[in-house]
Formats: sequence, C-alpha cells, structure tokens
Amino acid sequence: MLSIGVLAGLVTAAVAYFIPWLPDAAAEEAGTIDNVYWLATIICIVIFGIVVGVTVYSVFKFRARPDDEEDGSPIHGHTGLEIFWTAIPTALVTAISVYSGVVLVQNEQADPGRRLVEVTAEQFAWSFHYPDEEITTGELVLPVGQQVELKMTAKDVIHAFWVPEWRLKQDTVPGIFTRLLITPTKLGTFPVICTELCGLGHAVMRSRARVLDQAGFDQWVKEQKEAREGGGGGGQGKELFASAGCASCHALADASATGAVGPSLDESLQGKDAAFVKAAILDPDAEIAEGYQSGLMPKNYGDTLSEAQIDGLVEYLLQATGGG
Amino acid sequence: MIELHEHHEPEAAHHAPPGKPRGLRRLTAAGWLRVSWVAPLAFGLATGLVYGARAAMGLHPYWEFPVLIVAWTVIVPLAFLIAIGGFDYWFYWISGRPTRPEDHSGHGARSWKDYFRINTDHKVIGVQYVVTTFAFFVIAGLLAVFMRAELARPGMQFVDNNQFNGLFSEHATLMIFLFVIPAFAGLGNFVIPLMIGAPDMAFPRLNALSYWLLPVAGLMFLSAYLVPDGGAFAAGWTNYVPLAVEQPDGNLFFQMGVQWAGASSIMTALNFLVTIITMRAPGMTFWRMPLLVWANFATSTLVVVATPFVAGSQFFIMFDRVLHTNFFDFNQGGYAVGYQHIFWFYSHPAVYIMMLPGFGIISEVLAVFARKPIFGYRLMALSLMAILVLGFSVWAHHMFVAGMGPWLRIPMMATTLLIAVPTGIKVFSWLATLWEGRIHFKTPMLWAVGFISMFVIGGLSGIFLGAVPIDQHASDTYYIVAHIHYVLFGGSVFTIFAGVYHWFPKMTGRMYNERLGKLHFWTTFVAFNVTFFPMHWVGLRGMPRRVSDYDPVFGDWNMVMSIASFALGASTLIFLYNMIASWRSGPIAPANPWRALTLEWQVSSPPPIFNFDEIPQVVGSPYEYGVRGARHAVFNGSRAEVHEPEKVGH
Repeated sequence: MLSIGVLAGLVTAAVAYFIPWLPDAAAEEAGTIDNVYWLATIICIVIFGIVVGVTVYSVFKFRARPDDEEDGSPIHGHTGLEIFWTAIPTALVTAISVYSGVVLVQNEQADPGRRLVEVTAEQFAWSFHYPDEEITTGELVLPVGQQVELKMTAKDVIHAFWVPEWRLKQDTVPGIFTRLLITPTKLGTFPVICTELCGLGHAVMRSRARVLDQAGFDQWVKEQKEAREGGGGGGQGKELFASAGCASCHALADASATGAVGPSLDESLQGKDAAFVKAAILDPDAEIAEGYQSGLMPKNYGDTLSEAQIDGLVEYLLQATGGG
Repeated sequence: MIELHEHHEPEAAHHAPPGKPRGLRRLTAAGWLRVSWVAPLAFGLATGLVYGARAAMGLHPYWEFPVLIVAWTVIVPLAFLIAIGGFDYWFYWISGRPTRPEDHSGHGARSWKDYFRINTDHKVIGVQYVVTTFAFFVIAGLLAVFMRAELARPGMQFVDNNQFNGLFSEHATLMIFLFVIPAFAGLGNFVIPLMIGAPDMAFPRLNALSYWLLPVAGLMFLSAYLVPDGGAFAAGWTNYVPLAVEQPDGNLFFQMGVQWAGASSIMTALNFLVTIITMRAPGMTFWRMPLLVWANFATSTLVVVATPFVAGSQFFIMFDRVLHTNFFDFNQGGYAVGYQHIFWFYSHPAVYIMMLPGFGIISEVLAVFARKPIFGYRLMALSLMAILVLGFSVWAHHMFVAGMGPWLRIPMMATTLLIAVPTGIKVFSWLATLWEGRIHFKTPMLWAVGFISMFVIGGLSGIFLGAVPIDQHASDTYYIVAHIHYVLFGGSVFTIFAGVYHWFPKMTGRMYNERLGKLHFWTTFVAFNVTFFPMHWVGLRGMPRRVSDYDPVFGDWNMVMSIASFALGASTLIFLYNMIASWRSGPIAPANPWRALTLEWQVSSPPPIFNFDEIPQVVGSPYEYGVRGARHAVFNGSRAEVHEPEKVGH
C-alpha cells in the first residue's frame, strides 16, 4: 500500500514539477503567490498519494470472489485514528490559511513612492489614465521595478483585470473603485485579459501590458504627450493599429492582422473615404457591416486617442487598404 | 398529518373509486384534458390583464413584452398546476365542500400512464423525478457538446457570441436546477420513506405538487430560446448584475424559472424534514438512521434556509428590469456587489445541497458492497452537520476578487479551508470502510470508488481556490471550470449514477445489465478525466472561462478536451440504453439482490403500495455487516429471533 501511495505521489509530483503549470512570474507579488501555490501543491500531493494508495491497494487486496458470501471484518471505528485524521488536516489547512494571510498582507503593503494609474473598463475595452503625466491610453505601460497602484472602475457592467504573469486579478465594478498593487519585475509584453463575463465581446476584451525600463518609459511618456499635442501621421498610424487593439478583432493584411470578430478592413474599407472611417471608429454602431453584431466594438476611442492620433489612424487605414 | 393516519389503516379508507367521468365532465376532471383548455385560457387571461391594465393607466406600449413575460410565467404555470389537479383536494377543503375521502386511487402506478398524472405515491413521484431529471440531463449535456464543438478550435465556427453565452448559461442552469438538485430529491423521495420504515412522505399531496413544479421550471428555462430578440438568457447561471439587467428579455425566464425550481426544492425539503423527524419506525432513533437519511436531513435544512435567498436575488433583478426599482443600478445608488452576496449566500450552500445527498448514497453503497459497517458512523453523521453549519459561513470565497470589503477575505478563507476537515473525515472513513472488506465490484460500487478519487481531486483543487492569493490568479479561469466539474460531475453525477444503479432493482423490479453498467462506468471515467483534467492547466496558463474564442496557443488542448467531451456524451447513450432496455425486459429482481440490511431491501421489489405490510421494529444499526446475530429491524412475526448486537455504532 505504501509503495502504491508513494508511486502515486511521485507520479503526481512529476506531473506537478515537469509540466509548466504557471506562466513565468513577472511581478514581485507573483513570486510570493507561487510560494503559497507550491505549499498547497506539496500538501495535496501527499494527501492524494494516501487516498490513491489506500484505494488501489484495497481494490486489489480485499476484492471478493463472485461466490464469496462472507462479510468483511466488523470494524466500527477507531477513535485514535478518527482524532488523527481530524487533527492533521486541521493543522495543514490552518498552515495554508496562515501563510496565505501573511502573503496577502505582505502583497498589499502600499509603497509611498508608488505610481497611480486609473483604469476604466467598459464593453469591451480598457483605458488607462496616468494622472501625473495626464495621458490616457488603451494599453498599460509601466516602468520596471516601481510599484503601481491601479485604481479601477467600470462604466457599464462588471469586468475583471487579469495579467497571468503577475498572478493578480481584480474585478472592476461600476459605481465603486477597486485597487491592485503590482510591482513588475520583468521587461516584456503581457496580455491583459477580462475574466468576468461582460457581454457579447467578453472573449475579445483584451489589451496588453508593456513593462519598460525607466528610460524606455520616459521616452514612451514623451511620445504620448507629443501625440496628444499634434503629430500623428501615417507612420504612427500603424503602431496605433497594434497598440489600440484593433488587430485582435479586425484583419488587415498590411499589419499582418488576422482578427475575425469584426469585418476584415481590407474588404470593408474598400472605396470608403476618411469621413466614413473616422465615424466608424468614433461611433462604431452607427453602421454595421452585413453579418456582424452591433455593440461589440468599444466606443471609447474618442477618449483614449487624441484627435491627431485618430486622424493618423484613419490616414494609415486608407493608405493600407488602398482607399482615400 | 391526516395522511399519516389514513395510511396506517389503508383498509378503513377503502371506498369504491369514483366512476370515471363521462362526456363533458371529462373536461372539468383533473388531468391533461383540463390542462388543454385551462392553460391557453390562462395565457389569454394573462395577456388581457396586462393589456387592460396598461391601457387603463395609459402606459405605452400596451404590449410591453417584459411585463407580459412576467404575467405569463406566473399565471400559466399556476393554471397548469390547478388544471392537472395539484390543488383539487385543497380547493374542496377551502370551499367547505365535503372533501372526498382518500380512496388511494392516486397511489401506486398500474400502467405507464399513471406516471403522467398527479400521483401521491412517493415511489411513483421518485421515479417521475428521476426520469424527468435525466431528460434534462440529456438536454443540458447536448448544450455542452455544442459548446465544446465551438471551442474545439480558436476563432468562431458554429455560433455567434450571444448564442455561445446562451449555451453555457442554459447548460449550467439546467444541470444545477433541473438535474443534480432534483435528481437527489427524486432518489431521496423513493428511498427515504422506505429506509425509515414509513408508509409514505408526510405530505403526499405537497410531494406531488413539488414534482410538477419541476417540468414547469425546466420548460420555462428552455422557452427563453423562443424570445425573438436575443434568445436565451446569456449572463451565466450566476446572472451577475448589471449585465443581467441590460440583457435582452430572455433573461426574465431565468429569474422566473428559478422561482419555480426553488419553490419545488423548498417544498420537498420541508417534506423530507417532517418525514424524517416524525415518521421514523419504532426504534429508529437518529443514531440508527442510515447515513443517506442523515444526509437528506442536513441537505433539507440547507435548502429551507438558503433557497429563499436565490429567489430573492432573482426577484430583485426582475423588479429592477420590470418595475424600474434600483436595487443594483449604480447610477441610482444601487450596489452591484450586493447582488453577489445574496446570490452566493444561497449558491454556496447549494454546492452542499448538490453534494451531501451524494455522500449519503456513497455511504450506503460502500457498506453494502464492501460488506462492512461504515467506519466511524457517528463522526460521519456529525461531519454532515458540521458541513451544514460551516457551509453558511464561506459564501464570500466566490468573491475574493469581486471588490467586496477586503477585510472579509481572511475570515472567509479560514472557514473555507476548515470545511475541508469534515469533508476529509468522510473521505478517510470511506477508505477505512473499504479496508478488510469483501469488496464486490458491481456497477454501483465502481461508481462509488470512482467517486472517491474524482471527488478528492475536486476537493484538493478547492483548497487551492480557497487560499486567497492562489484564487487571485485562478479565479474566473478554466481552472474553475475544471474544479466545479470534478466536484459536480466527478462528485455529484457519479453518486447519482451509483444511486440509480443501486436502487434500480428496487425501483423497477428488474435487474440492469451489469456488463453495460461497467462499460458505462469505464467510458465515462476515462472521457471525463481527459475532458476536464487539462482544463486545470489551460486555466492556470491564462485561459479565462466563459469565452467563445481564446488564445490559439490553447488550440491543441481544447481540441483534445472537445473530442473527449463527445466521447463523454456518447457514454451516456450506453446508460440510457441499459436503463430503458432493462426496465422493459431485464431479469426480474429479487427483493434484496445486494444482501443489504437497510429497510428498503426488506420488502419486495418494487415495494408494496404502502411499503410495509407490517410496521418494522428497528433494533440496531443499519450497517452491522459481519456482526453475528445483529439485526437492523425485525417484523412482528420474527421478533423471537432478535439478538441485540454486542455493539452499536462504536
């Protein structure tokens, strides 16, 4: 029985260890959360090993022959054993509880030097407002190593902010503010995923989080400010097409985008003029292409993009689809 | 309690059954003929009422669809229940007319037609319940198959987003409200009165009524598909606000359907409680009750206390939608997270409502097929009660990331993890029951042992989710989908299969096919694990739940899960064929094919119309396998043979 249990435990442990169960941690908080995860995993592997060991052993050892009419041993219980398997699990779950509590409190220590970003979710888009820099964008860009406080709310229904590499998730609720404290430790681009069912476009309500070094972040802030105050242009349009999330729903050959939720821009923008494209971005439900659903495309591009950026995007789209 | 008295003296109440109504009288006699004209009439009446009232008040448009839906879903089902005869006796009694003496024509089933009318026999009602719930199991399973077909590849193939959201909402709603909860009510209905030595449930007419509410609720959930604009409700079975308030009109069918399913559930639970408390046979003390009876006692308490909360939560949404109240409208001072508190105050205990009766079934099956007393009987009963109490203090673990008061997270985490202790006691005691047994691997035993291992996986993943930091990552992902299916399918559904196979001979008087039963188990067991185990992985790696489209990196695994889910669906066909074919022409079942000790096996298969020709005298524990001379109960004729067992319980 012991060997079956140990075998089951080893197999489970191998499955737990060799399969990459979690994405690579990319935030300070993710590291401590993973510690809780591995503590729970070790405890659960031992318990699972015991259960499987006893079950499989009993199934083979105590199996009756079909014609066996005898009864088993009339064992009614064993007080010592019952106390044992009440006390040990109590101790184990208390350990998980206490450790989880410690990690939770530790992860929620606010650093006085943290950066504040205001997050607004709506069907089906994210906007991130940087009050210090006075910029608003559709993607979250952060400098590495600095704690950020996300102060979050929603405009219409409940959404949820999740970055798997950071291990942190928080619903955004209309009418109240919720918050998350995150300290990114790795450079890179990570998906921002909505995990609370929010309507028709729930599956495509995605953005991205980019973590840059301090110099890169400063540069990005500068570019954003310049874009606000003018600039734009066809060159930026292609970048905007990616950063504003257009590519997740629309196909566009020039940008190697293959999204299929909304109409393919290569086709639907044929022969259209700038006024039409601009109206379609700002008020997407005004006219819906045949065979597609209304209410899916976000209506917040007027807020997250500046006038100049929208003009740049329109210019790029017309150029890329051969219209204009 | 009038019924109780009558049933104890069936002869005294034997009157000639009233002659069959003839001619036009047939239209006014309880039954489907009366339904055929009363239901459309009620539909017209409801429509007219709304139209008339709105016209009188000058409210435009007169045909306000949401208001009509509410009127229809209240008035038509009531009319249906009246017409089919659910209230006949009470109406006679209320109006002061002489009540017709109970002639017991509503007892027992002589032909298949008797299953399609108001019947007050708990055994008939039990079968009605089980057959109805399996019909909805098949429908809800097909919805899941459509869902998996869409998810097999990334991108959209077969349905649009709205239809997809409708699929998983209807799937979960039907599985929970029309399958798992009532399937246990059905098995309990058949078995509990027999197990405690009672002639029927305490309130047979209420019992009949609570059954007939069930198809009403099921059809109501499904008729959401008929709504021309938007179709089925698509905000998930949790129906979170504000999404639920802004959904198309189909959502109203969810709110109203929950009322009828909930009412059915509450009535049955009251009936169980009164039956178990007052109608136990002489000598059947609480410490001599089989664990299934204990489990239904605990479950019924949960249902009676918790179910009104889900009813309330859905009424609030309905009021917000139809009467324009502002319970949850944040622009008017409403509080969206408040809904979740009310909802989960029911829906977490509902998890135990869907699990405790299964625990009871497993205890019965294990003791019989391991030929051993249940290990630690008293602690097993007490752990049920511990789960019942703790079950009310853990609801907010569904809301760790929902934006509730942050201070509530740590106490709710502590209680959540603590509830693993009584659950663990049950699992370890079952394992100890297997120890040194003489295990017979009949089909019910396969399901029971399969249940233990699958449920342990579901329980352990629950420990991960109960720890707040891990939940912050895993909540609302496919990890949750994996967890609930290990608990509700590997847990509840496995126990329902164990129970159906175990009591099939008692319910139908025939034996099922053992080879097909085993084939059903193994195909389901393998397909179930291949379908749901990888969901843990894709969830932790970053796939959120309730999405019609996903990151293509998860494409291969989703294809594997989809193919396995089709196999899982196909394995159910084996079960259906086995049940139907065996019921029609299986070998005749003996009274006690499993050599079990509990009372339901001491009467013929199927049992006599009033269960016991003489009232059993309970003298000992129900699980004294291997104890020489021990008896659970004696009937008067054999009292001389009684030997008090040396040791009862432990």
